[in-house]
Amino acid sequence: MASNLDSLVCSLVPQARHDQNLRDELVAHCGEIIHSHIGQSNEPDIGHLADSIKRHLLRTSPNGVPALRFSNLLARLLEQPVLSRKHASLSFLHALGTTPAPSTRSPAALPALTLPPQPRAPSRLRSGTSTPSQPVPTIARPKGKSRAEILREYRAKIDRQHLPESVLLRDTLFLLQGISGKYVQFASIKDPESNQLVFKDDSRYVIPPPTKALIHRLAEVGYLYIRVDSFVREREGKAGIGMIEQSLCHHLQSQLTEYYRLIAVLESQMSASQNSEDIAEGEAGPSVREEETGLTLKRLDVWIQEWRLRMRMMSVCVEGARDTHGGALVNLIHGYTDNGDPFVRRFTDQLLEEVSKPFFATLHNWLFSGELADPFSEFFVAVDPALAHLQYVQQSASGPLAGDGGFGGETEDLGEREGGLKLWEGKYQFRTEMLPSFVGEAFGRKIFSTGKSLNFIRYSCQDSDWVATREKLSNTGGTLQYSDIAGLERSIDTAYQIASRRLFDIFFEKYGLLHHLRALKQYLLLGHGDFADQLMESLAPNLARPANTLYRHNLTATLETAIRQSSAQADPPDVLRRLDARMLEYSHGEIGWDVFTLEYKVDAPIDTVIDADAMTKYLKLFNHLWRLKRVESALSTGWMRIAGGARTFLRLPELNPEWHRVRIVMAEMVHFVRQLAAYCQLEVVECSWKGLAEFAGRRAGDLDALIAAHRAYLDRMVKKVLLLSPKAGREELLLAQVRELFATILQFREATDDFYNFCLSESARRDAARDPVRGLYTGGLREARADALPGILARVHEYGDAFSERVQAAVLGLQSHPDLDCRFLGVRLSFSDFYRSRREQAQAKA
Amino acid sequence: MASRDADRITSAQQTLDILYEMSQLLNTQLDKETLATCVSMIEGGVNPEALAAVIQELRRENAALSAHTDVNKEL
Repeated sequence: MASNLDSLVCSLVPQARHDQNLRDELVAHCGEIIHSHIGQSNEPDIGHLADSIKRHLLRTSPNGVPALRFSNLLARLLEQPVLSRKHASLSFLHALGTTPAPSTRSPAALPALTLPPQPRAPSRLRSGTSTPSQPVPTIARPKGKSRAEILREYRAKIDRQHLPESVLLRDTLFLLQGISGKYVQFASIKDPESNQLVFKDDSRYVIPPPTKALIHRLAEVGYLYIRVDSFVREREGKAGIGMIEQSLCHHLQSQLTEYYRLIAVLESQMSASQNSEDIAEGEAGPSVREEETGLTLKRLDVWIQEWRLRMRMMSVCVEGARDTHGGALVNLIHGYTDNGDPFVRRFTDQLLEEVSKPFFATLHNWLFSGELADPFSEFFVAVDPALAHLQYVQQSASGPLAGDGGFGGETEDLGEREGGLKLWEGKYQFRTEMLPSFVGEAFGRKIFSTGKSLNFIRYSCQDSDWVATREKLSNTGGTLQYSDIAGLERSIDTAYQIASRRLFDIFFEKYGLLHHLRALKQYLLLGHGDFADQLMESLAPNLARPANTLYRHNLTATLETAIRQSSAQADPPDVLRRLDARMLEYSHGEIGWDVFTLEYKVDAPIDTVIDADAMTKYLKLFNHLWRLKRVESALSTGWMRIAGGARTFLRLPELNPEWHRVRIVMAEMVHFVRQLAAYCQLEVVECSWKGLAEFAGRRAGDLDALIAAHRAYLDRMVKKVLLLSPKAGREELLLAQVRELFATILQFREATDDFYNFCLSESARRDAARDPVRGLYTGGLREARADALPGILARVHEYGDAFSERVQAAVLGLQSHPDLDCRFLGVRLSFSDFYRSRREQAQAKA
Repeated sequence: MASRDADRITSAQQTLDILYEMSQLLNTQLDKETLATCVSMIEGGVNPEALAAVIQELRRENAALSAHTDVNKEL
């Protein structure tokens, strides 16, 4: 070992052959170097070493011949059995070879290359040895100076040196973390709007403009970081942040953690290169190796490139999140997913996946159990706080089959009746702006309706089957998430169908909605003809009296009698016990006919469909139809008199023409009333009912559709039965005419009654006058009271003419009615052009 | 026995030749003798990089010395 060193020293330093002192000194020095710990980290990977050697060779002579030769030699060397440390030998050669000897350097040839290739070995040497070797600088300095060198020296001379990049690098790394560095600072952290950078120019150093531009580019990321970070911080501390926002913050935070990791890696790289640079401080620049691995501003730029985009995206999200909320925020982020850039798309998809998780949790809850778990009102369904607690109101009311104890006070009933529909329509609100756009408006509606139905089933219907339904629901629904929109839509569809069907089942089967609707039709719309007749017959004497002499208990008793005497008794008791008779508010002078009404009571949850409004309409219809019925029955009894009685026992030949006239007018009235009644019952009520029954059989849609169908049914009837015209201001013109006609008919009927009575007494008087001829004595003859006759006849004629005129006007009105059915009623009333020809006759006369 | 020794010597010679050629390629400016010394040192367990450092140091030393003597001579 020592002898080897000795010979090395001798062969390399010829002077030492003669100088014993020098030789000893050198040998000792070399021994120290060898025993120091230089280069012990190398792993024995011969392939890697060979590669780096080849690379080196290619660099020095690009034609590739030496590299090829080296490969050959290496192959041969590896075959040789002698050396045990071929790798070590190679690395020795490599170490020597990559440090060109000073003597070979030709300063004139490549001036630009003169600076950097400082041997690494000397620096190592120095770190290993405490004794610095003086000659180094003289070796390092090339003899000629490059222009860069000249420039640098000039700058040094005028005291305007460029700031070393390593210093700037450290500052930039600070900037990336949103911290102002020593030389480069953010203008104001407090005011994040001004994203200005301030370069602190040291008097001794300047930062060249290209570097400034580069730092500006890099600092953008730092600026964005500040924004994102401050957003996350701010939200962390605040209370009442929505869950969606919280998860956004979480996602941002995890992204920032990734970012910290990158910064940490960069920093460690920087400090590694910094260390070696510190060592090589005296040298002109970093070594070749450092240039390859160390960190520079430009490299930093490349590293940070992807993060710049990512930070921008995050910052955009943050900006958007400031003034949007919940579903709208999801919406906002979703807006960025339609991007051609796969990076942006992936990033937003990922973000959305994270951010929408709470949304989907709420959705799941809502869709499958009808519960709105949305503490921060981020969902697109909002609950009305005033109605939220109302859900148990119905529980206190008596159940649908809780005996026939009847109903309590009116006010309580009314309050309850308002509940159903109001609860259904008002409890939850749909908020379009909160609906994430990837769901779609139609699906949003479905979701809304599904949850509402479930909630309704749950709280308003007290469905005992609920557990079973829920189980069924949760079986069909997988997990909902953003990435599986198709599955989401499928689940929504299924849930919607199940919930709607369930709700329909409850309404139709459990609560017998159809029974109630049919009962309403049979009783309030007088579908049970025999019942109506019976009721009318038994009530008629009562109703003719003033309203204030009527009592409700009398009415209800009569009602029960009518029910028992008609086929209505076959109806289920649950239906019958809801039927009630009462009087409307009456004023002075009104008689029973004006104020009597039937009533049908429904309770929750049927009142969702048959709400108070609908009830009012039903009552209105009843009122009209009841009047019609009254007129009809009055006419039929009147007709019996004049058609039967007047012919058989009224023997007043001089009044026969009058009777004939009366019969003609009354026949006209009967025709009118019959046609009207047939129109109401057959063409309006039954046709509408058919439509509703079809809907009930189909059971499509949700409760809203059911409510709408019922409403359409009712509105159609109201419109047609009451002959309402869509023309503004004249809606009830025809109705008023028809009512007047009714009144006229009743008056006419009274007049004919008088006439009948007069005729009856007159014929009795005449009969009695013949008694003495027959040989009978029946008392004294009464005086003929012929003076009353003209008055009676005048009334009969007056009402008859008034009727004719009015019915003509009504038919005219009906013929120009916009509604086809009403127009057709007009056609039927004047089927043989009866009224037109009369009109023409009248015109011809005039 | 003698033939095996001879074999070893020739193969050692070949190895040295190869290494020398490599060192030529890499422009290390070592002569064959120095190279042989170095290889034997490496075989003896010396760290190759440290040895390279030694060679560098010695060369620099030599240059310094010769420069010194040149200056002296000029003086």
